[in-house]
Amino acid sequence: MALLDIKDLKVHFYGRSGLLSRKKKPFKAVDGISFCIEEGQTYGLVGESGSGKTTTGRAIIGLNPLTSGNITFNGRDLTMERRRGKITFDRNIGMIFQDPYSSLNPKKRVLDIVAEPLRNFERLSPKKELAKVQQLLAQVGISADSIYKYPHEFSGGQRQRIGIARAIALKPKLIIADEPVSALDLSVQAQVLNFMKDIQKELNLSYLFISHDLGIIKHMCDQIGIMYRGRYVEQGSSDELFSNPQHIYTKRLLSAIPVKEPAEREKRAREREAIAEEFQTSYHRYFDQEGLAYPLQHIAGTHYAAAQGTGGR
Amino acid sequence: MGKTITRRFGIMVPQIILLSILVFLLAKQMPGDALTGLLDPSVDPAVIESQREKLGLNNPWHIQYWDWITKAIQGDFGQSFRFKMPVLDLIGERISNTVWLSLATLILTYLIAIPLGITSGRYNDTLSDRLITGYTYLGFAAPLFIFALLMLWLFGFKIGWFPTSGSVTPGLEPGTLAFVISKMYHLLLPATSMALITTVTTVQLLRSEIIDIKHRDFIHTARAKGASESRIYNRHILRNALLPIAAFFGYELTGLIGGTIFIESIFSYPGMGELFFSSILLRDFSVMITIILLYGIASILGALVSDLILGLIDPRIRIK
Amino acid sequence: MIHPPPNDIPLLQNEAFAARSPSSLTILWREIVRDKIALVSLVFIVIVTAFVYITSLVLDQEQIVRVDLFALNKAPSAEHWLGTDYGGRDIFGQLIIGTRNSLTIAFLVTMLTGIIGISIGVISGYFGGMIDNFFMRVVDFFLILPFLMIVIAFIAVVPKYSIYSFTLIMTAFLWMGIARLIRSKALQERELDYIKASRTVGTSHAGIIFKHVLPNLSSIIIVSMTLNLAANIGLESGLSFLGFGFPEDTPSLGTLVSYARNAQTLESRPWIWLPASSLILVLMLSINNVGQALKRAADARQRRG
Repeated sequence: MALLDIKDLKVHFYGRSGLLSRKKKPFKAVDGISFCIEEGQTYGLVGESGSGKTTTGRAIIGLNPLTSGNITFNGRDLTMERRRGKITFDRNIGMIFQDPYSSLNPKKRVLDIVAEPLRNFERLSPKKELAKVQQLLAQVGISADSIYKYPHEFSGGQRQRIGIARAIALKPKLIIADEPVSALDLSVQAQVLNFMKDIQKELNLSYLFISHDLGIIKHMCDQIGIMYRGRYVEQGSSDELFSNPQHIYTKRLLSAIPVKEPAEREKRAREREAIAEEFQTSYHRYFDQEGLAYPLQHIAGTHYAAAQGTGGR
Repeated sequence: MGKTITRRFGIMVPQIILLSILVFLLAKQMPGDALTGLLDPSVDPAVIESQREKLGLNNPWHIQYWDWITKAIQGDFGQSFRFKMPVLDLIGERISNTVWLSLATLILTYLIAIPLGITSGRYNDTLSDRLITGYTYLGFAAPLFIFALLMLWLFGFKIGWFPTSGSVTPGLEPGTLAFVISKMYHLLLPATSMALITTVTTVQLLRSEIIDIKHRDFIHTARAKGASESRIYNRHILRNALLPIAAFFGYELTGLIGGTIFIESIFSYPGMGELFFSSILLRDFSVMITIILLYGIASILGALVSDLILGLIDPRIRIK
Repeated sequence: MIHPPPNDIPLLQNEAFAARSPSSLTILWREIVRDKIALVSLVFIVIVTAFVYITSLVLDQEQIVRVDLFALNKAPSAEHWLGTDYGGRDIFGQLIIGTRNSLTIAFLVTMLTGIIGISIGVISGYFGGMIDNFFMRVVDFFLILPFLMIVIAFIAVVPKYSIYSFTLIMTAFLWMGIARLIRSKALQERELDYIKASRTVGTSHAGIIFKHVLPNLSSIIIVSMTLNLAANIGLESGLSFLGFGFPEDTPSLGTLVSYARNAQTLESRPWIWLPASSLILVLMLSINNVGQALKRAADARQRRG
């Protein structure tokens, strides 16, 4: 059984309705998506900003309430908890945030930041807590004598490591990583990503990896889901998606990845033109009246795409 | 804009209703009613009781409130029990004095604030700026009533330049030039005293606005294009810096309300504040609630004016 | 919670850490010491406060407020350092007790409005939505009330009027400013990721409010309470001056100034009202000085050093 199983997840936001305003149409941030994550695997969620990928992650951990759908995690049905405003956070799910600057309280010492989850769930003696925090920091490669420093004394990459130390403090099974490196310098990005892979093996973690960067997704993920305006357009393994994209949106995303070889560029430009033409001619095969994606159709293996009349083209 | 106004009214109306209920209940809590003290104590209590019944004073409060508010909406705020005249007439006699005092204060406030603010903002960190900032600092900390008291003591009693009480020299014929001059003369000290204190927030606001705008990119652009310094200040900086001051106007009105109460009391100036005190002391509560209601509505309107000006100036602030 | 550093970390490093990241309280303190005017003001406030509280323990309040028909309106003399009022009561003694009463009530009102305002502000700003909407409507309503008049009317209505009812009435109409301020700051604060991060590691709302939001707003809270203290001294004395504050047998700075409403006293007996007026002025100025220095400290951009 999968570690995390999401069925028909919907998160709708209702605009602030005052006494005098009319009822507004809800904003459908996430509009019926399903996927599952196996233990020890990385699932990538890709999409442009506003596609609902961050909302999905936040709904799973409980920062946003669900409108409908089911979340089963680790054999436990989280749906009812998530649907009410009152949310109990599961210590087996952790989260890494995008901005390493605002995700650490500037007025707290590293010790207090990393120890916060421990203080909530494990009542350790101050001595044991200190030892545990030092061990966690060592695990993420921050020197143990930094515990009395404040966040502003660290670089972006180091701060992100501190955030990771906090996320893994309770030994979670799943970590939701919301654009964990997009605020970092390119050189630091690779470092942090590889480090994330290392601790994944070490702790047998699963990741829900949210990103808009297909290069990173390809590097990190086993399974991938591509979102567009709250819906899935395509889903499959890394191989299936990158070698055989079915949906025009996926194709366009892939064709936008820059290439290194100058010789390839010419070819890629032609490809892009072809895709642009296909987008013009067969738009309605891929998008409905409102410009939204159709329901997913099975292609092969774990590969699904939201195109009409697919199933071998 | 129309939407903003309707939305504002949607908020204002319940506020005014709530305010009227509050002041009405407050008045009901006051010991005595319209009949205490009005009738001879030797009159048979049964007669008083029947009078009460007739006037509706024995009804539950919400019915009395309803009677009062329906009349009030039609402009009938009842009788003053002490002065034996309609409340509105009584207020009408006094309101013009308070309006004149407020107006004079407002004019002086801006007459002081604008030159000081501009000097302070344009030549910031010079000696004159330091002096002006020092003054605003003092004015911000000093309570109005102490300052006014000192002004009255110094200029009214010790030096004797100004009259120490009243709104006009008694005996003058209304409408004559002497009457008008005497009125203005009586206004001068109270209004200046108040303006010197109330102006400091405006000076501070104007100064920080000018300093802020001075370093914006569009000013650098104007300067790079060769605009003269005076043109930059008059056309670019002032125009932008005065907008928030204009928006502040409504709140300034609200602030005047508290101030005039002190000023009228200190300078024995016969305005609304004085009427309010006598209505409290004499338990003349139909006058009291009308005054509180009027001042409450005035401060609601003041806030409305400010919000509307702000909305006109800055479309982002408009209520959707 | 602060844990003592383990022994194996050398002391030197701790000193270095202290130099790098002073706590907000240290920053506030340092700014005051650096600002000479604020420091002098603070010393003045401390001395005045200590003096009036200690001497009023020794002074016989009964005797000071007792009417003495043989010493009406006496000018300052060896017996009465600041003269006497129209009831023959010693002004200097009244000034000491009055200052104590004024400071006490201003302090009480500041604390009470602080507690109410901070609670409402932080709940409103942190939770947002309907709760926020409701509280802000209430705040808006209180803000449109003509403060002086409503307070005076309440004071006139309260049947058993005492210092306590005076405190409560003032509190009831003065909590909105700080509530608004804290609300807007909490609203900004809650959007920050570290609040969300705290939630994801299982910290409760109450835990977040007490461990993250309020500590991070502490300097703003201290600044605005200091400025409120000054304003409350002004309001108390203003109300007492108008005759709607302390009763005459309980002197306050305001009741002493209110003698000046008699034109004769104002004109020719300044020893009665001038000392109290000056003290109000200087006290408010001093507290404001400290408040402004704290404000600069709280805003890193304006810090002097």
